[in-house]
Amino acid sequence: MNDVWVAGADMTRIGRLREPLPDLMAVAAHAALRAADRERPDAIVVATMNPEEFVGDANFASHVATHMGFADVPVIRVETASSSGAAAFYAGFAQIASGLAGTVLVVGGEKMTHLTTPKVSELIGRSIDPYERSYGTTMPAFAALVTRALMSRHGVGEREIAQVAVKNHANGARNPLAHFRDVITIDLVLGSRMVADPLRLFHCCPISDGAAAVVLTAERASVRVAGVGQGTDTLAIRHRDALTSFRATQTAAGAAFVMAGFGPERVDVAEIHDAFAPFELISLEDTGLFPPGKAGSATLDGETALDGRLPVNPSGGLKARGHPLAATGLAQIVECVWQLTGYAPRRQVSCSVALAQSIGGPGTNNWVTLLEAR
Amino acid sequence: MIERLAASRCPVCGLVAAPPARWCPRHPVEMARASVAGAGEVISFTTLHSPPAGFRSPLHIALVELAGGARFICHGAETLGLRIGSRVAIEAVGDVYYFSHLGAMDRVRLFWSRAGHAGERMNAIARSLAKRAWKGRSRGEG
Repeated sequence: MNDVWVAGADMTRIGRLREPLPDLMAVAAHAALRAADRERPDAIVVATMNPEEFVGDANFASHVATHMGFADVPVIRVETASSSGAAAFYAGFAQIASGLAGTVLVVGGEKMTHLTTPKVSELIGRSIDPYERSYGTTMPAFAALVTRALMSRHGVGEREIAQVAVKNHANGARNPLAHFRDVITIDLVLGSRMVADPLRLFHCCPISDGAAAVVLTAERASVRVAGVGQGTDTLAIRHRDALTSFRATQTAAGAAFVMAGFGPERVDVAEIHDAFAPFELISLEDTGLFPPGKAGSATLDGETALDGRLPVNPSGGLKARGHPLAATGLAQIVECVWQLTGYAPRRQVSCSVALAQSIGGPGTNNWVTLLEAR
Repeated sequence: MIERLAASRCPVCGLVAAPPARWCPRHPVEMARASVAGAGEVISFTTLHSPPAGFRSPLHIALVELAGGARFICHGAETLGLRIGSRVAIEAVGDVYYFSHLGAMDRVRLFWSRAGHAGERMNAIARSLAKRAWKGRSRGEG
């Protein structure tokens, strides 16, 4: 297997954006190619979760490639629900590791803010098992079932969960590309509207637009892809034994660390899929970055803050940077690359190994990516 | 009276699925028909204050582990006093499953909170009330 390097990475601002989705993706892609000092890739991998329904366009790989001026470059689209960006990264990684391509552009994006919140919730909710969906189980409902079970466990209370959102907003305030740049307090989180008991509005990530891109090469660059792992689980949550941990993340982390040849103790910074604040605590334990039951108190003690032992979501995470679905897995990797190369002003942490973790749907198709500065 | 719920069992790993599934989610084999008792323990529950289209707020959802091994998603009239670990009965009202023991008025209310054509709702309510009356009689005789 060939070594795979990240030669360039860039992204758009995340938020409520005017530009059409193909424009956002072209802007991110062109910027990543400039950062990589490449004019054209050998292949392109496109990630979008649901452009057919969010923006009404199909055949989207060709659409985006043509739009950005690469009509004659081979292009495919990859989709694994909300982790599509991470899955597309893997597809690009595999093309280079196998020797099939020398330079691959991976670009992900989503545009959702032009639709109403109920419509967006319905479209995202289609990633849930049809029977469970027929009972009104949306993503927030799924997250609420997980959260209540988590809170019945010793060591995870309202304050531990709220602190995830507080910490990620504090980081987002330092990231000029973040959707939310305001600092919040635990009281504000705990006083916000109940969405799905016990989950409140400020526990949930926003609906965002945006795009992110990376350029992968077989040629040596400053960041090496040390490992990529995928994990899966049943679509239906009723067929799983565990509710307070995601087997798909545990499997993905195990595979990524085996490929990298090192363990969680080498990780200096992490971008975690905090679509709902409690998912950050669960994911920190599922990836092995914290022992079971310890992520809550560690978060409250500041261990995951920018100046903590293991900074988590320096970008602001899904909560504050925002969550434009298929862009997210790649936006996490862009942040990791910027952190590893010293290009994260005002939120820069000292690091040589970064971990990105992405959750697809209700924890059905999860990814862990390990990057190393060389 | 505890209802029996239709389910299926994997001949390889023994996973019980309710409602029944054609293939086991973990093995590429056809599942065998089975049934499980409609009673179990609450694994988790939530109340949605902005439920999706087709449901009225507040919408109560629970994940229940049935005595027969299957976990089950169902609705409820309320979650007041409900705890993780609470024992509940599962009842079918029409084609929809609800946790806890429901009174006649609860059934009427639950029907109206689920979207559907007025005619269907009235039919379902009538069927439900008839079923309850029959159950009440059988309990009285027992």
